[in-house]
Amino acid sequence: MSSPFRNSAIALVALLALVAGCDRESRNSRGQPLGETVPAGASPDTIYPGNSQPPPLTAQAAAYENNAYAISQGQQLFTQMNCVGCHSHGGGGMGPPLMDAKWRYGGRINQIAASIAEGRPNGMPAWRAKLTSEQIWQLAAYVRSLSGQVPKDAVSARADTLSNTPPQTEQTPEPVLPAGSAQQ
Amino acid sequence: MKPSRFTAIVVAGIAISSCGGIQTALGGQAVQSSDFVTLFTVFMVVCTIMYFVIVGATIWAVLRRRRGSEACTVETGKHKVSTSASRTALVAWTTLIAVGLSALAVASFFTDRSLAAAARNPKLAITVTANQWWWDVQYTPDEPSHIIRTANELHLPVGVPAEITLKSNDVIHSFWIPNLAGKQDVIPGRVTDAQILPRHIGQYRGQCAEFCGAEHTNMALDVTVESIADFKKWAAAQLQPAAAPTTPLAAAGFNYVTTRQCSVCHNITGTPANGQLGPDLTHLASRKTIAAGTLPLTTGNLYGWVADPQSQKPGSNMPTMQIAPQDLHAIVAYLETLK
Amino acid sequence: MRRVVGAAIAVAVVVIIAGLFWLNQPRSHHSAAVTPISPNGAKILPAAGASPPDDGNWTMPGKDYASTRFSALNQITPANVGKLQVALTFSTGTTEGFEAPPLVVNNTMYVVTPWPNNVFALDLTKPGAPAKWVYKPNPSAAAKGEACCGPVNRGAFYDNGRLFVNLLDGNTVAVDANSGKEIWRTKVADIQKGETITMAPLVADGKVLVGNSGGEMGVRGRLTALDEGTGKVAWIAYTNGPDKDVLIGPNFHAFYPKDQGHDLGVSSWPPDYWKIGGGSVWGWISFDPQTKTIFYGTSNPGPWNAPQRPGDNKWTASVFARDIDTGQAKWAYQTTPHDLFDHDDINEIILADLPYHGGRVPVMLRPDRNGFFYVQDRRTGQVLSANPYGYVNSYKGVDLKTGLIIPNHALDPKEGRVTRGICPASPGAKDWNPSAFSPITGLVYIPHINLCMDMAIQNANYIAGTPFVGADEKMYPGPGGNRGVLTAWDPINGRKVWEIKEDLPLWSPALATAGGLVFYGTMDGWFKAVDARTGKLLWQFKTGSGIIGQPISYRGPDGRQYIAVPSGVGGWAGAVVAAQLDPKDPTAALGFANAVKDLPTKTSPGGMVYVFALPQ
Repeated sequence: MSSPFRNSAIALVALLALVAGCDRESRNSRGQPLGETVPAGASPDTIYPGNSQPPPLTAQAAAYENNAYAISQGQQLFTQMNCVGCHSHGGGGMGPPLMDAKWRYGGRINQIAASIAEGRPNGMPAWRAKLTSEQIWQLAAYVRSLSGQVPKDAVSARADTLSNTPPQTEQTPEPVLPAGSAQQ
Repeated sequence: MKPSRFTAIVVAGIAISSCGGIQTALGGQAVQSSDFVTLFTVFMVVCTIMYFVIVGATIWAVLRRRRGSEACTVETGKHKVSTSASRTALVAWTTLIAVGLSALAVASFFTDRSLAAAARNPKLAITVTANQWWWDVQYTPDEPSHIIRTANELHLPVGVPAEITLKSNDVIHSFWIPNLAGKQDVIPGRVTDAQILPRHIGQYRGQCAEFCGAEHTNMALDVTVESIADFKKWAAAQLQPAAAPTTPLAAAGFNYVTTRQCSVCHNITGTPANGQLGPDLTHLASRKTIAAGTLPLTTGNLYGWVADPQSQKPGSNMPTMQIAPQDLHAIVAYLETLK
Repeated sequence: MRRVVGAAIAVAVVVIIAGLFWLNQPRSHHSAAVTPISPNGAKILPAAGASPPDDGNWTMPGKDYASTRFSALNQITPANVGKLQVALTFSTGTTEGFEAPPLVVNNTMYVVTPWPNNVFALDLTKPGAPAKWVYKPNPSAAAKGEACCGPVNRGAFYDNGRLFVNLLDGNTVAVDANSGKEIWRTKVADIQKGETITMAPLVADGKVLVGNSGGEMGVRGRLTALDEGTGKVAWIAYTNGPDKDVLIGPNFHAFYPKDQGHDLGVSSWPPDYWKIGGGSVWGWISFDPQTKTIFYGTSNPGPWNAPQRPGDNKWTASVFARDIDTGQAKWAYQTTPHDLFDHDDINEIILADLPYHGGRVPVMLRPDRNGFFYVQDRRTGQVLSANPYGYVNSYKGVDLKTGLIIPNHALDPKEGRVTRGICPASPGAKDWNPSAFSPITGLVYIPHINLCMDMAIQNANYIAGTPFVGADEKMYPGPGGNRGVLTAWDPINGRKVWEIKEDLPLWSPALATAGGLVFYGTMDGWFKAVDARTGKLLWQFKTGSGIIGQPISYRGPDGRQYIAVPSGVGGWAGAVVAAQLDPKDPTAALGFANAVKDLPTKTSPGGMVYVFALPQ
């Protein structure tokens, strides 16, 4: 092969590789047509009697977990659905903080989604009838990002609010303590 | 048919078809747009004349040169001597340019004056907030309880100067009703304004003129310019709270709309649905289109839109919800009562 | 020559820059011409009939209907208070913000806790004050998610052998004071709409007055009167809406033209916004038995995002005078039209009789959230004086001719940008925690705060049962750096006599005694006694948790004077501790977390009643 031809070939291959990498995520704006639901009663960390294991995350939950589109939609919904009013921008208020390590009812995405859908006894409203499952998963994905669980290339790099916290891309991840640890 | 006549007819046809219609910048149905059309015509005339003069002169110069005058090069040693003819030509040429530019400047000046005069004493205050991908329109008189809130439509009384305050809730949009006025960018975090003084009664279409996301092309505005009496009638009807449902199916729809997902985003005045995120639905059935001009308002389109908005406007903020068929019947029945 | 010119220019530049700095200094604004109301210095007294002679009991949170919070017991004096020691302690078992004063009647101490609103009756005649009974009403836990500022309770009310308690989940109960049995329970507020009840009811003339909470939740604020015997609703006075709902009738006379008109509770709002406009009644009510008039204020309008609700937004941030039997309004005064900063009007209203122009005027004294101390004629609502008792830059003053507050429009929050340096912050120059009035010194002792804030507003969405706010805030200390201050205020001359600066915001009410002392508590748990005349600190005791509750004084079975105080940090100010918030987010707790980031190192949650007395 002559040198210019080889260089062009290398460049072409590199370009194709780059382009292939561009298809990182697809946006599914319609959601699943039927019955994409938030699983009911995703149990908080607890004893699984008889040597059984906690259930693994479903593929659906994993799809939302680190998805940039889902997180950015969740960020919008977090303000629009008044989550901000109780949880502020993660620091809490009427509701507990979402950016720290403590999770009353579990910090995995399916547990967060279940909390949003079903409500919780100390005043967390139940949103199952008001939001679509897709929206609830998106909110759960965003809530996870508040404590730094999400890789930096998926979180939003800016917020449109008075925040004064470092942007999420610079947040250090908090450990996710088991549900119910060190509660009042 | 002779070629020149054919050309003339084609050109005229294009011109006429683009001059008519509900969404054309050459419509001139308001003071602002007619000023623009006048200015546009002046510019077109002056610039066309100049264009032909220049092109003609260039062709003449090239052809004349080819008839074999001696070349002025280093080798021949000849150089051009400025004759009186060429001096005259120069003076004439400069005068022509000066006159042409002055004409444009004067036309521009008078256009600005006219626009300023038309904007001077607004009698109608409107606030339009652009969202992705719909227009939130509020008529804001001094008395707050007379504020009218509607979406994706604008009613203007003819001959009344309107001051439109423009805001954006998310990204940069641009407010453009070609028949009535020019574009005005709508920028989040800033307040801009547009003035419209309509002169001709009619139905027009405006749309977003700044790329604002996936559904930028489906962000239109129905504009109705009507007589003052008709406008007052419309405004009085808009101030009424939503009509109460009269049939059992509509009542079931009322129940669904005010207690399920719809009330989270939409406001229907006089009911418990007071969501502020989406278009106001209080008088939905009095509008001509839905989804910001995407679909005409018909029963079938309402069914389709409520059942699956993402198929019509993928990426819009109204999610596709799993609505049971009987609920869908009830919802549409109720929405159609919201005249 | 050039050098001289150069030097002159340099000097001029320095002078200009210095001048600009000087002009930029924060300035407090005073209303024009502070004229003493009565230059003779004649005595100001509690309203006649509203403040009976002290029988050594404490039957209502305000001590009397005039809300003086003044005890006539004088055994404890500046001379001996240094020897004050703990006589009794009681742990409630609840560790949320503890705001309710213990009530003492017939040698029984009644303690009301924050949610779950348990009531303990402690027998003071026995050593250790064991409980005679415990009443557990079991209010719904979901109510905790609707309470903006802690699941607190501001006190019960004792009348005629019964205790009247408001529960967080919107019910009011009447409990037999001897047996602890529930006599009736009435649902007054609906948590599904975001309503709760935190206020202490006022019981007078056979009526139990209960106001709902939820100014941040888009509720429709109102005051409900229940029949004392049966608990049935006697009348409801809404804050917003048409006159027939607000109970404005032919006998209503607003003093100022700005408050006159028909159906102002509708016309001063965009369509339907008055239905979700707040104006809740979560604070204090005072009562004048001679004229059978109740006085109370209403909360902020909702949402906090003011451009969403153009208009005066009547009757939020207003004071009402109503007839207690019918609820009909006698007059109303809107203190802060079109409130921008969550400056509620629910603070305590002290009823007093003031020497004025040779006679005596029945007045009301109230240190308002907006930073002004209002002295108003309580027959008409006319504002006699309104002077700032804290640092205020968001208003320029109060025009006494028109009754209008003069806003400083440079600090109007606007969508799309952050407005910085607004003083006072949203909790105001003083929040709910009431002051005490001593008729002996003639001073009002105001425990309050010194905070400023940055505020950003955005479109608020209304979903019933969720917050309807549309604002982010971040609070920080005001000028001087101290976040709290106890001010001794002379209401006649409209000026501060002395003040004590505190590091942490003061969120506890004050108690004044005839012995010449003022008691109050700090958020890190210090319970302090100061000289009522000079403000000199005479005694202090570190309790187990921050104090945000009302201290009281009573005569024990042995005839001695006791001082009791609840200790348990929480409420809006203490949320960062009580709810374990994360101060990494400065907007947490609606901005308060940023102002008290250090609180978790200074105190922990608790729930104890401490009782002090002189040694035997």
